[in-house]
Amino acid sequence: MNIDINFLGILIGAIMASSVPLILAASGELITERSGVLNLGVEGMMIIGAISGFAIMVITDNLFLAIIGSMLSGLLLSFIFGFLTQSLLTNHVATGLALTIFGIGLSAMIGKDFVGIPGKEFPLLFVNLKEVIPLFGPIFFGHSIVFYFAFLLPFGTNYFLKKTKIGLIVRAVGDSPVSAANQGINVLLVRYCCILYGGAMCGLGGAYLSLIYTPQWIENMTAGRGWIALALVVFATWSPLKVLVGAIIFGGITILQLHMQAIGIRIPVQFLSALPYIMTIVVLVIISRDSRKIKLNTPTSLGQIFYKEK
Amino acid sequence: MNTKLKISKISKIYPGCIANNNVSLNFESGKIYALLGENGAGKSTLVKILSGVINPDKGQIFLNDKLLKLTSPKDAKNNNIGMVFQHFNLFETLSVFENLSIDSEKNNYQLRILINNILKKYNFKIDLDVPILNLSAGQKQKVEIVRCLIRNPKVLIMDEPTSVLTEQETEDLFLSLKKFSKEGILIIYITHKLKEVLSLCDEVAVMRKGKVVSISRTVDEELSSLANKMIGESLNKIKKMTSNNLSGEQILSVSRLNFNSEDPYEVNLVDINFTLNKGECLGIAGISGNGQNELFQILSGETLSNNGSIKFRSKEISKLNPRERREYLMAFSPEDRISQAAVPSLKIYENVALNNFKTSNFFEKGLFNEKKIKDHSKKILSNFSVNTDNVNLKSQFLSGGNLQKLILGRELITSPELLICFNPTWGLDVGAINYIHQTLVKINEQGKSIILISTDNDELLQLSDRISVINKGKLSKIMSAEEVNPEKLGLLMGGGLVD
Repeated sequence: MNIDINFLGILIGAIMASSVPLILAASGELITERSGVLNLGVEGMMIIGAISGFAIMVITDNLFLAIIGSMLSGLLLSFIFGFLTQSLLTNHVATGLALTIFGIGLSAMIGKDFVGIPGKEFPLLFVNLKEVIPLFGPIFFGHSIVFYFAFLLPFGTNYFLKKTKIGLIVRAVGDSPVSAANQGINVLLVRYCCILYGGAMCGLGGAYLSLIYTPQWIENMTAGRGWIALALVVFATWSPLKVLVGAIIFGGITILQLHMQAIGIRIPVQFLSALPYIMTIVVLVIISRDSRKIKLNTPTSLGQIFYKEK
Repeated sequence: MNTKLKISKISKIYPGCIANNNVSLNFESGKIYALLGENGAGKSTLVKILSGVINPDKGQIFLNDKLLKLTSPKDAKNNNIGMVFQHFNLFETLSVFENLSIDSEKNNYQLRILINNILKKYNFKIDLDVPILNLSAGQKQKVEIVRCLIRNPKVLIMDEPTSVLTEQETEDLFLSLKKFSKEGILIIYITHKLKEVLSLCDEVAVMRKGKVVSISRTVDEELSSLANKMIGESLNKIKKMTSNNLSGEQILSVSRLNFNSEDPYEVNLVDINFTLNKGECLGIAGISGNGQNELFQILSGETLSNNGSIKFRSKEISKLNPRERREYLMAFSPEDRISQAAVPSLKIYENVALNNFKTSNFFEKGLFNEKKIKDHSKKILSNFSVNTDNVNLKSQFLSGGNLQKLILGRELITSPELLICFNPTWGLDVGAINYIHQTLVKINEQGKSIILISTDNDELLQLSDRISVINKGKLSKIMSAEEVNPEKLGLLMGGGLVD
């Protein structure tokens, strides 16, 4: 019995760890979208974050610099997106898609020399507590700092959007940039900030993969997580806490179906692999059914190009 | 303290259009000023300049003899100029309180007290914690006004404030504005509605084609003098000839028409019976929402009723769709120009091609004959004096009046025998209304018939040969125009009875 509880703890801990990149990227993208900007470049920014984090780690041998660098590179990529969509008024969807393609290509090019290099061990916190407390130990302790940051982030995001003045301004800009501009709000500045923040979080999400989760560089290692993060934001109806729920369900079913495949349950593998996607969408759709809330949370100006009258 | 606002020689030029041409105006607190002009006369540009949204090319603005530099909306706010735009600047998904707090430096607690005091003082009833999208247009406007009042404005500018309000809300607004004016706030009221100028304002400046053409006291003006100044030519008095070419030949007869809707928000039609003669205009009056919409849809074939019969030129048409009815030479001009009559994002010639699929030969083997449609559209634009000759223009850039002319032109150019129109002059300025009325009179004179469903009683009395009133889906007795007067109409519209 004791073994079972421990196994359960480790399983849940693993599930939570696997959802970290999704939480980070989706929380960042959520802020971007709340300001009315639809950045479909999440996958591209994550993979660039992953390779630059790993490369900086290999070159400087400093994990702190690697983490910061991954965020900066995500931010830099999102700046390109911001400049194109906000200053040159290009279409959000097309620009975002281009960003993803660009990011994947660029990361493969940079990463050529880093394939096969082993990663560095990332310091884990509270490792001794992990063994002491049954069940909860392996769930809550012995994780990296990024892990704890990721799980606090949705709560912080929620507080930021609902309770702070700047959060209010972000929501206002996403609702109606024209009205916001007429109220004297600097719409471009707000949107740029949100885009850059989103880029940094996507970069961090990518770095979590290459530095902590599976510490090595593999080409295309984000494997579509950016797209999942995007879908999470939409299906969670732009609510940070629902993003958290969605990310955990997705991570959970991904891990569980791997175990089910390993045990050899007689369900087609293809179906099991598809299960996380289906279940996440089903659950999020069910918990977000309230049409009034959807209307209130949806950034009305999402994806619309805004320019200032002169 | 007295507030003086002086606008001096303001000019603003857009490519192809001088929006403001050397505009100079003086305002002083204690009075309500009207800025009157047709759509496109330059009022809104001037207002945007005053509120800092756009910058003028030339000219200066002085508040109490101090030169103002208004380069952003913030500057206007900081100089105590408050502004309520025609299209609300509210955030629909945020709560009323969030909307009001977004640009306030006060903390939430103080702000709430301040807002509650303002609401109490002017007897505004608004729940601060509901999202804006749950409010009516009148309430939204009050939120905008409160937003200005929070900052103790010296100047309050209202841009076409009544275009979205009901009559009751308009009255309330006027009372509030008079109160503000007594308290020393300088009020500038922008409108194209003549009656409002006379009933609310003390002084009126008229703008036309970017210039101020007249400044006068409203006591010296009357409706016709203001109208003439506004459009720059005297309006032709529309005189309906008393039906001398009524042949008595029946063109349409509707009998025992009933319509039961499944939609709880629609009105059921009960036992509609009427006939229409050649060359006649039948007016249908009523307070909006009493079944006009449903009646229009059934007459045009958008909805089919399984009850009763509609005979047009002695053919039963009640089961035909709008296209088939058009082939029998009926034409329709729905109430909502933007969403029902035209597709705003399509170009003018594309919109023209949308009806008359068969009768015209715009399409050959399923392909578009662009040249034919464009020639046809050009003809409409010039015949119906639409203010552009560019058929490639997107329809959304046409003003309401020009769009309506285009729609009427599209319907009439096939010379239909019957035109059914629903509120054809809704929201238009005087010049456009006049043009459309003239057009309607003209087609009557050509022996064509009209059914005019309208909520504008003056229009009905002016144009109809016979009038009926619709109330809760029932038509009143049909009366000849001579025996009807506004009082009688009012009574019937309210559900009363006249002998």
